[in-house]
Amino acid sequence: MTAVDPETRIPDPIDLDRAEEARLRAAAGLAPPSPPAGSEYAGFELVGVPDRPLQTEREREMYTLEEGEMLLNMGPQHPSTHGVLRLVVKIRGEMVTDLDPVFGYLHRGIEKLCENATYTTVLTYVDPMDYLASMHNEHAPAIAFEKLFGIQAPRRAEYIRALVVELNRVFSHGLMIGFLALDMGGLTPILYAFINRDDVVELLAAISGQRMLFNFFRVGGVNWDVNDEFLSRLGTWHGTVMKSIGDNEKLITENEMYGVTGPNLRASGVPFDVRKAHPYSIYDELEFDVITQQSGDVYARYLQRIDEIKQSLHLIDQIMDKMPHGPVQAQVPGIIRPKPGRAYGAVESPRGLYSVYAISDGGPTPYRFRMRDPSFISLQVMPLLMPGHLIADTMAIMASLDPVMGGVDK
Amino acid sequence: MRLLVERFPDIARDLWTDEDTVEVQLPRDAVVETLRTLRDEPEFGFYMLADAAAVDYGIGHHFEVVYHLYSDRHPAWLRVRVPVDRANPRTPSVTSLWTGAMFHEREMYDMMGIVFEGNRDLRRIYMSPDYRSFPQRKDFLLPDDAADSSAAGVNPLERPETWDLTTFSRELTSSAATYPPPDTQVDVPAEAYPHGQESADKSRPA
Repeated sequence: MTAVDPETRIPDPIDLDRAEEARLRAAAGLAPPSPPAGSEYAGFELVGVPDRPLQTEREREMYTLEEGEMLLNMGPQHPSTHGVLRLVVKIRGEMVTDLDPVFGYLHRGIEKLCENATYTTVLTYVDPMDYLASMHNEHAPAIAFEKLFGIQAPRRAEYIRALVVELNRVFSHGLMIGFLALDMGGLTPILYAFINRDDVVELLAAISGQRMLFNFFRVGGVNWDVNDEFLSRLGTWHGTVMKSIGDNEKLITENEMYGVTGPNLRASGVPFDVRKAHPYSIYDELEFDVITQQSGDVYARYLQRIDEIKQSLHLIDQIMDKMPHGPVQAQVPGIIRPKPGRAYGAVESPRGLYSVYAISDGGPTPYRFRMRDPSFISLQVMPLLMPGHLIADTMAIMASLDPVMGGVDK
Repeated sequence: MRLLVERFPDIARDLWTDEDTVEVQLPRDAVVETLRTLRDEPEFGFYMLADAAAVDYGIGHHFEVVYHLYSDRHPAWLRVRVPVDRANPRTPSVTSLWTGAMFHEREMYDMMGIVFEGNRDLRRIYMSPDYRSFPQRKDFLLPDDAADSSAAGVNPLERPETWDLTTFSRELTSSAATYPPPDTQVDVPAEAYPHGQESADKSRPA
């Protein structure tokens, strides 16, 4: 990168001889100018190349085009990018040769917000992160904060937590299957997925009062005990859910992976599940299998979700059987000032390892509140998965990774 | 934990443990080699990088990069804390060990301004490429703080030349003489910005 005189201003290209523009841009370290308006490739070649010096080795590799290659920009407002994800795809003909995911369009600085909020309020702020797994979002900080405070949630509260978390996993996986089918061109499954999701969110609304951002967990317990409406809805839902999974399977029924956790990792044959690896809550008292698939492709990730839904239903059965009586909330003061310390809480969210690292300095707010969101980390395999596949496969592969942009951008 | 003390008697200082975490502190020069041992030796088997986070202990103190590792041979998480000098925030990259550390390090660079030496894609990941502040540093001003400061009335979103919010509190900080840290912006030459640091200073109310 050559240094440039700060006085050098790049004039408007319209007023400028093209050779002069090329010379100035080279001096400023910018990309070469677009081809002239009459050229065959006018307006195509430089789409997506940043209009600034390329900063890193990887960026130069990505944005340097060889003969026959071009860049294609997908998003951030593309209907199948699952939110405001932007993908810059380098293609040769119909074949993807490289890919650069660009984030930040939804970045709200939730970590910073949480460092300025009291411990009880933090559980509200993390809800809209991964908005399809709000219960899991609340679970990890609740675990970390309880370690910081040295308090223990009552056993009944732990059972209710496991119950709502598994219900959340069921509808999240169900939606993923629907969106995957939608991105591959089938409109019907997403409609069924939303019908099935509606049953579950109504169920969770009966216990928490909210349909989407539940705000149900408390430090030291949960907000409400199970009530009659919840139980009756659970019974009805449980009678029909196996049938609707079967319907979905009937209705709907290859690639490889780094740093990936959750169903995406297990679909590649690695049996890592935080619920088994580091049992939290009451998962060490429950029986379930860590399902894996061997092929690690889109279809395997789809089958993985179906099998995990079945495991979750199996878990819900056991939880309802074993749930003890008792209080659902430990005695906790209104404003909590834990002793200085550090705590790490990790849960298995529908998208993988979701963890929270909290540092207390003795004040009423966390000194540092760090969240590891699985969708964010999983997305970095996209440049590894895509080369050699067709543009149309991009959407299927991305949908199979099931990223939620609220969590990616935090 | 006993294994750790046996294998790393001189560098693993400040061992600490709670119910499910073992914590060690490492000097930054030893990070890559030690983590490689922890990952590759069968008796450790910490093959998974669960999390990598940066912590700012405030002006006059230091940064810290915190790695959480998982092993299927040990029941506890391993937390590795690496102090990083605040005036010269550089530390070796672990992307050679875990490719998946790439986004972690990009996020830490974006939010805290820690430079990971050897990371081949160290650019901003959330903020725009021409953004100049590091928002999760403790001396980064929030809108609430800005209302009480000399920068009141400046809407940073409309005035890109004021995007370096970290230095609004320059007069308040003891590390003013060392900010910006030398070579922090290694990959982003100052020439890339049409509105440089000087113009940003001039545009601010005194």
